[in-house]
Amino acid sequence: MATPSSTTTNTTNNNTTAADNAPLTAAASIVWPNTRDSYELREVIGVGATATVHCAYCKPRQEKCAIKKINLEKWNTSMDELTKEIQAMSWCQHENVVTYHTSFVVGDELWLVLRLLEGGSLLDILKHKMRTSDCRHGVLDEATIATVLREVLKGLEYFHSNSQIHRDIKAGNILLGEDGTVQIADFGVSAWLTTGYDTNRQKVRHTFVGTPCWMAPEVMEQVHTDHGYDFKADIWSLGITAIELATGTAPYHKYPPMKVLMLTLQNDPPTLDTGADHKDQYKAYGKTFRKLITDCLQKDPTKRPTATELLKHPIFKKAKDKKYLQSTLIAIGPSLETRVQKASKRQPGTSGRLHRTITGEWTWSSEEECDEQSSDDEGQEKPLNKLIEVPQSSDSEHESGDEHLNLVLRMRNSNRELNDIRFEFLLGNDTPDGISTELVGAGLVDGRDADVIAMNLRVLIGNQTRDRPVTFALVSGCNSDETPDEKMLVGYAQLSYAD
Amino acid sequence: MLAGNMPLFGKSQKNPVEVVKQIKEAMVALEKGDKKLEKAQEDVSKNLLVIKNLLYGTADTEPLSDIVVAQLAQEMYNNNLLLMLVQNLTKIDFEGKKDVAQVFNNVLRRQLGSRSPTVEHICAKSEILFTLIAGYEHQEIALNCGTMLRECARYEALAKIMLYSKEFFNFFRYVEVSTFDIASDAFSTFKELLTRHKPLCAEFLEINYDKVFTHYQQLLNSENYVTRRQSLKLLGELLLDRHNFTVMTRYISNPDNLKLMMNMLKEKSRNIQFEAFHVFKVFVANPNKPKPILDILLRNQDKLVEFLTRFHTERSEDEQFNDEKAYLIKQIKELKSTTSDQ
Repeated sequence: MATPSSTTTNTTNNNTTAADNAPLTAAASIVWPNTRDSYELREVIGVGATATVHCAYCKPRQEKCAIKKINLEKWNTSMDELTKEIQAMSWCQHENVVTYHTSFVVGDELWLVLRLLEGGSLLDILKHKMRTSDCRHGVLDEATIATVLREVLKGLEYFHSNSQIHRDIKAGNILLGEDGTVQIADFGVSAWLTTGYDTNRQKVRHTFVGTPCWMAPEVMEQVHTDHGYDFKADIWSLGITAIELATGTAPYHKYPPMKVLMLTLQNDPPTLDTGADHKDQYKAYGKTFRKLITDCLQKDPTKRPTATELLKHPIFKKAKDKKYLQSTLIAIGPSLETRVQKASKRQPGTSGRLHRTITGEWTWSSEEECDEQSSDDEGQEKPLNKLIEVPQSSDSEHESGDEHLNLVLRMRNSNRELNDIRFEFLLGNDTPDGISTELVGAGLVDGRDADVIAMNLRVLIGNQTRDRPVTFALVSGCNSDETPDEKMLVGYAQLSYAD
Repeated sequence: MLAGNMPLFGKSQKNPVEVVKQIKEAMVALEKGDKKLEKAQEDVSKNLLVIKNLLYGTADTEPLSDIVVAQLAQEMYNNNLLLMLVQNLTKIDFEGKKDVAQVFNNVLRRQLGSRSPTVEHICAKSEILFTLIAGYEHQEIALNCGTMLRECARYEALAKIMLYSKEFFNFFRYVEVSTFDIASDAFSTFKELLTRHKPLCAEFLEINYDKVFTHYQQLLNSENYVTRRQSLKLLGELLLDRHNFTVMTRYISNPDNLKLMMNMLKEKSRNIQFEAFHVFKVFVANPNKPKPILDILLRNQDKLVEFLTRFHTERSEDEQFNDEKAYLIKQIKELKSTTSDQ
């Protein structure tokens, strides 16, 4: 029944009132409408700092979908960042990349209409399985992992052929449809290679130091010697994700972010056994699977295989079809209802106004948002909170009061891209000078800025109110072709609380 | 040196004349619709991919040498292929549309010494530009057209054709369409056209002041939050650009504009308030305020001082903003009616 796309020359500002009366059979060929009234919002399935994800129903098409509502008043950074994320999605049409339907403005909110993936994220499933069964010797079996990773790799292959890099591949960003479809989601940090469609995009490209557990060493070091290999960072993250799917967590999940950076940079690449409590804990996983992990986790990005090459890896002989995932993942995963309950439990008051405690300044960094549609309890936290050893019971996660401070240093790197460097400050244990020295030691900041960062750390921690970031001029200044700009953080840096 | 690159071209066993001939045949078939649609689409996309890979290279092959690219481009001009591709963009499949944009932008960037042959070609065939602008009317090609338009807008000659066309005013409609990604893409093209080539933009705004700002007013009053916020921000940028001094002077002499900004200062949205502040400050900072402007400010003197004193006080760390605010408060406090000056 689907009308060939070439003949649907619907104008962009069309109204859908006519379509509301369309006969049932034509529903699928109706363009996704962009008026609020065409959608019925249902339960909340995900909550983040700037966005809420709802399960929704598109009336004219008579079809379920997901709607991500982004609060634009909290979006203090340039609107370009947001446009970039949405355009990155709309350039993609692939079975394994989250399906974007349309987007429109409702009041001061932006509504993104996406395909509803009722299975939730793989992180939801991992957590659920670890809670409900004995996973000491591994969470998912090899065949399931191979099936999932093959789909993810197909999505990545498409992504990379589009000159896009995802930059945040992890279980939390891999979503599952009820039918066993696997899709890569969350384009919040995706970037375009310089040969991309629009050379203007280079300007808005940024690197995130956001979820260090999955991050490739060269991204941590901020060395971009050869842009031709930028996309290999996704392959590293895929290797970490393979470990995550087997063991339930990324290898260095127990450590604070700064420590993760150092471990990743200084140690040999992690393996399946890196986080193991005892030898042979993960002996159920064979050589071929381990080989996949070591292939992906090579420190030299040029040595890592491409997505296309990886798809030929022998491990994928074990890969099965969607049906298999339905039986191994969907059937065991938490039901949508469970996830919905958890999401709403956290949802403070009316929809859309979220987490008052989070400073408005940081809303655009997508890791503060919960993974699309992922609504497991720990999925609500900023990913980095997970790096601090939290007690198993997630309800008491903020038990330690003022002792741990989660801080963010926002500044430009040598490529002039804005970075968020997240770190933990342990009151009574850490000192501003110590942390500042550590940041320099990890190569994240210029040695000349050590003192000024330490000084402002002291100011920030001394402040009575936590919602006020501290902005300060850098001793290292900016490049000769730039003018210092406090607002744009050129020649300036900003320190703030992460939550 | 050139000869060294030739074998690479030989390996691909395609020569420019052949490649362009094939895609043109495929395009004609697609246009006429005499083949089955899917088959014709497939042919076009296959040939587009060939050209794209010739221009950009692939993992295994290097891009073509300059001389062969020159031949390829020349063949494309001779066969009017660029226009044909953009005119039939809606008929090309999803991936093919993206390849059209990539091929178009690559060929456009090509230089021959100090010349840009594709820019010259498009200047002579401005229909290409207007077809691309009209692409914003069609959801399925809007973003593809947007990337090509922004690449075109980088060249002054092409930006000038677009600015001085009647089609330019369609942008005021496109930036407000309800599909967000299309509206915001149209907005970035619109902004590029109005800011990229400063002297050209300033001249255009001066000549077309009334028409442009009548239209612009509608954006500032839009129902759409994003349109309002983005257009207000751009207005501030335009007025504060020294190239646009004449335009700025004219804008800040109109009491209606001042009233609008004072109302926007009180909008519910803090982001809009903040952007309005950056336009409002220009009215106050003007050392030669016309009487109607001065009158409004005087009439509201006390209220404005009080309002500004309480305005966005939480931005304590934004030194520039606070300096500006203090300056405005001081200016407004010291305002005297012109009669007493004389």
